[in-house]
Amino acid sequence: MLTYLIRRLFAVAVMLVVIILAVFCIFFLIPKWAGIDPATMFVGKQADKASIEGVREKLQLDEPVLVQLFEFFKGIFVGRDYTGGGTTTHCAAPCFGYSFRTEQAIWPVLTDRLPVTLSLALGAAVVWLFIGLTVGVLSALKRGSLWDRLAMTGALAGVSLPIYFTGLLALAVFAYQLDLVSNTFTPFGENPAKWFSGMILPWITLAFLFGAMYARLTRATMLEVMGEDYIRTARAKGLREPVVIGKHAMRSTMTPVLTLLGVDIGALMGSAILTETTFSIPGLGQAVLKAINDRDLPLILGVTLITATSVVIANLVVDLLYGVIDPRVRLG
Amino acid sequence: MTAPLHEETTAKTAVAEPAPGKTETSIEGRSLGRIAWERLKRDKVALVGGAIVLLLILVAIFAPALTALTGQSPNERHENLIDPLFSTPKGAFGGMSGEHLLGVEPVSGRDILARILYGARVSILVGFLSAFVAVVFGTILGTLAGYFGGWLDAVISRVMDMLLAFPQLLFIISLISVMPNNMFGLTGTGVRLLVMIVVIGFFGWPYIGRIVRGQVLSLREREYIEAARSLGAGRGYIIGKELLPNLVAPITVYTTLMIPTNILTEAALSFLGVGVKPPTASWGSMLSDAVTYYESDPMYMIIPGVAIFITVLAFNLFGDGVRDALDPKGTR
Amino acid sequence: MTTLRTSRRRLAAVSAVAAATLLATSACGGGNSDNEGGGEYNAGVNKVANASNKKGGTLKFVGVQDADSWDTTRMYYAFALDFARFYSRQLVSYNPKPGKKSLDLQPDLATDTAQISDDGKVYKYTLKDGLKWEDGKPLTAEDVKYGIERQWAQKTLSGGPTYIKDVLDPDGKWKGPYEDKKPFANIKTPDKKTIEFHLPKPNGDFEQMLAMPTNSPVRKDKDTKSKYTLHPFSSGPYKFKSYTPNKSLLLVRNKEWDRSGDPLRKALPDKIQVTLLTNPDERDKRLINGDADLDLNQRGMEVQGRQTALKQHKGNVDNPQSGFISYVAFPQSVKPFNNIHCRKAAIYGTDHKSVQTARGGPTAGGALAHNMLPPVIPGYDKSDDQYGILTNGGKADVAKAKDELKKCGKPNGFSTTLAVRNTDKADVKSAEAIQASLKKVGIKVEIDQFDGAQGPSIVGNPANVEKKNYGMILYGWGPDFPSGQGYGIELWHSSKIRDNGNNNYALIDEPKIDKGLADAIAELDPDKAAQMYAEVNKEVMAGAYYLPLTYLKVVQWRSDRLTNVYAADSYSGWYDFASLGVK
Repeated sequence: MLTYLIRRLFAVAVMLVVIILAVFCIFFLIPKWAGIDPATMFVGKQADKASIEGVREKLQLDEPVLVQLFEFFKGIFVGRDYTGGGTTTHCAAPCFGYSFRTEQAIWPVLTDRLPVTLSLALGAAVVWLFIGLTVGVLSALKRGSLWDRLAMTGALAGVSLPIYFTGLLALAVFAYQLDLVSNTFTPFGENPAKWFSGMILPWITLAFLFGAMYARLTRATMLEVMGEDYIRTARAKGLREPVVIGKHAMRSTMTPVLTLLGVDIGALMGSAILTETTFSIPGLGQAVLKAINDRDLPLILGVTLITATSVVIANLVVDLLYGVIDPRVRLG
Repeated sequence: MTAPLHEETTAKTAVAEPAPGKTETSIEGRSLGRIAWERLKRDKVALVGGAIVLLLILVAIFAPALTALTGQSPNERHENLIDPLFSTPKGAFGGMSGEHLLGVEPVSGRDILARILYGARVSILVGFLSAFVAVVFGTILGTLAGYFGGWLDAVISRVMDMLLAFPQLLFIISLISVMPNNMFGLTGTGVRLLVMIVVIGFFGWPYIGRIVRGQVLSLREREYIEAARSLGAGRGYIIGKELLPNLVAPITVYTTLMIPTNILTEAALSFLGVGVKPPTASWGSMLSDAVTYYESDPMYMIIPGVAIFITVLAFNLFGDGVRDALDPKGTR
Repeated sequence: MTTLRTSRRRLAAVSAVAAATLLATSACGGGNSDNEGGGEYNAGVNKVANASNKKGGTLKFVGVQDADSWDTTRMYYAFALDFARFYSRQLVSYNPKPGKKSLDLQPDLATDTAQISDDGKVYKYTLKDGLKWEDGKPLTAEDVKYGIERQWAQKTLSGGPTYIKDVLDPDGKWKGPYEDKKPFANIKTPDKKTIEFHLPKPNGDFEQMLAMPTNSPVRKDKDTKSKYTLHPFSSGPYKFKSYTPNKSLLLVRNKEWDRSGDPLRKALPDKIQVTLLTNPDERDKRLINGDADLDLNQRGMEVQGRQTALKQHKGNVDNPQSGFISYVAFPQSVKPFNNIHCRKAAIYGTDHKSVQTARGGPTAGGALAHNMLPPVIPGYDKSDDQYGILTNGGKADVAKAKDELKKCGKPNGFSTTLAVRNTDKADVKSAEAIQASLKKVGIKVEIDQFDGAQGPSIVGNPANVEKKNYGMILYGWGPDFPSGQGYGIELWHSSKIRDNGNNNYALIDEPKIDKGLADAIAELDPDKAAQMYAEVNKEVMAGAYYLPLTYLKVVQWRSDRLTNVYAADSYSGWYDFASLGVK
């Protein structure tokens, strides 16, 4: 178990390094190849020659890529100073970079935005797991019934709808026409009730898309599991049907659902960008979209890293959960 | 990336056992393709989906002719049809009339039907070609990994895992935003289309690669491969003549299911403003434009939204049908 | 440095207007339907809506963007400069009157406008009696001097306009109050009540520049440098009570402010409250519901809000002319626009009506622009219509365009690239309209969108413009202070061509224009100067360096409770905040 954990953590570290490398390539090599000076992409609005030169010094853009990478990693653990153009800017650990465009360190921006995106993602996950599992199990139990057909057609439709379209429709109908819920985001600390009211639509919209896939998956797995020997045994033992389903069948059904959940964290980030754009939620997605528009590379790098990290960690958690849910899985 | 492709949903069925031996030596001696076709013919829903897909392809190819039939063109402005005070079309339902069947755009008064028809070209082009890119990469790398195993397999598999866990939409947006405007003699929309096809395809190949690798892994130990090998067949021959034909079924299934995902991704990119450039029409950019008018001119939002929905749904229905048809277990 | 600041305000302001894109019916037609006693349509344009002297109540602003800074030295957003007058005073300030009348400068802290001597090189002011800070201590000439000198400390206090610095210290010899131990020689305070400015060269707009709240007094012992934005020390009728950046701001009465000594500020409400949101639709909803009185950012309403406002509450809407223009510049470095006839072809070939519709129509977008000097600026000449834009009703003149193409040696047209900011939706739509109309005369336009925030290094970099083949650049512009100098020198003067942060996109290098501008700046009589700017503008149009598109307008919400509302030319056509009260 311990060796497994260590091995996994090592894999996590490797993965993060690769991601940093990939982002570096995107923002340093491609522009170079296209003939754009990377320094100009880091300067803010005041892009005169002197400030570009200053940024070049500060980011050590003239140094080899490896040195730049080393400096970046160093910053994460011990913080770093950006010196150039006669001034020094300190960025305390954990330094995920410093935006010369907005003159602020990236880390506080991330810690400010991450909870918002997390609350969106987690809330939606709760909703979609509930919907997906319930619909999937019911469909499997009543296989071939009208309910099953309707539910599965609905699920297919759910997968086929762009989230920004459903989101806008939902906003138009529930927030503007019927005025049932708030159409804006309110921070939780300011007014929990309003926060909840503002998050309902984003949660449901996001859950609609993912829930549809989970319903299909749950149904398929459930059908398969119901045919297994041990279920027959359980029934033969005289266990009541709810116990058979709830205790035995559900356990096996949860395994692929969990796997999917792990994989989905990455996809969820993409959907969060779209959801946050549609509902004007000030989360990571909106921050990164703005950063991409502004070519605010340090922020993009920071967001990418933090999302990638959460994806990797989520996958780790999922793997560990296997052992809990399915006794057949042994970690080692 | 709104709706990631989940092989788990289907892994149980299509991937399971293409079992060449079974079908090829079955009593009637029918080919797998024939059986599949027989089954598909019975699946009405899938047939409807397929018919719509076919229709969409035709629409995309003949968009100029169809548009000419209505007497409109996608970029001609009809400002006289716009209410100067609100910038929205005069008349009900977004200015629908005998001349402009689906109404006109706010602000410019361009014919929506013509833009929808031309937009289909972008969707279909990007959807198919990026799937093609993914299939080529996925098949080659998946076969290599599965057939040769060892360190090659380890490297390719890790890369696939990593790509699958990446926040893909984020990467695609970042990549596109640093791409130069002129490449290979292409400008404007041409460049964007090329970049979208390549990038979406690049992030899609692991889905195909994984399946192919799994298949090759199980197939290469089969007796008939052993037999070919003992008869002195070269690697190229075995891969080309013995393995690939058996991969056609799962690849077909995944390609059909990947196209709608790619279409959604293209729409999402255009929605976020990194897709095609004006004045080129795309469903995603139409939707993004419509956000501003979703209360005052809801039709402008609904039309491209429904177009995306129908297209993606049709592909999904058809893909589901193809999968069921190619699934020898016939779980349905 | 000036450039960057200029462009910054310009960007902010224009994107604001862009957001506002859609409003307004032409002129003041209709609008007699008085709903809910809120007044009439355009009641706050060129006249005062709900004139009243009733004190008390809370004035509620709502906005979607916080000030770039509340530190008077560092602010450049037009709404911030407008708002700053609640808690700051200047030597001279604008007349609290609607429209053009607002441009007359009035003494504020000073007893009178400047005593000018030495051929316009010395400006002398005497302070009024009994001026006090919010803690009751007297406000002296030294405080005024210190407040103005802070703009030399650009390293710490960047962001604001530096016109006074550039005029008084054109070579940047003095290092500012934080770094330079020596006092600055060109501002003198012979006693506690007198302040003198010594200009190396006369400048007819010097007093206009002084009126910007950038030049408010700051007391040395209260100067918290870069943190000053969190609590600027008040010399005006209100003081900061609480401020959370990007969330809220509350001002309460400054008890030490003496009403009798300040005729320019009405100071009617007891409290001034600012709420900052992120969603403009939500802002409009709050305005229409009556939860707030007016938009802090003054950028006009979004499409949805505009619709509701104009359909159901037209009496609450004003549609003033702003000081901003949307235009296209032709960089002469990019072929074939080095040839005047090709430039003229593009001007004739552009369908102005179509561009106007793209921007949102005559109400929300603006009026057809027929030359480069917008109506709010002195020197505007309605008769200067050299390309027949008004006489043609904005339609393209295809015949003339083809004719010019022939003269240019490109009878079959040519291809070019039009650069436009992606941050401004109305700009992009205008670009598409230009693309469509020029296609009809044979000019094939490719639209290239760039990041608006990077404008200075993309379109403001002539080398880059040439490399990217940007034959046309679509941009917006507004005056920093209402004069031909504050508006035109950056766009037209050859000395303003820079390697980076350039605003003279067309690369105009014409001795006649340079001389015209120099003469106009040196002219101390504002009316004569206005005439001279009009002449320069005519010359610019004759050279076909620019394609003027639209003089921008905004749709502004004015709540039922609001009193003393009027749009002032001194604030680019936006409301004069300091006069507002609530019923």
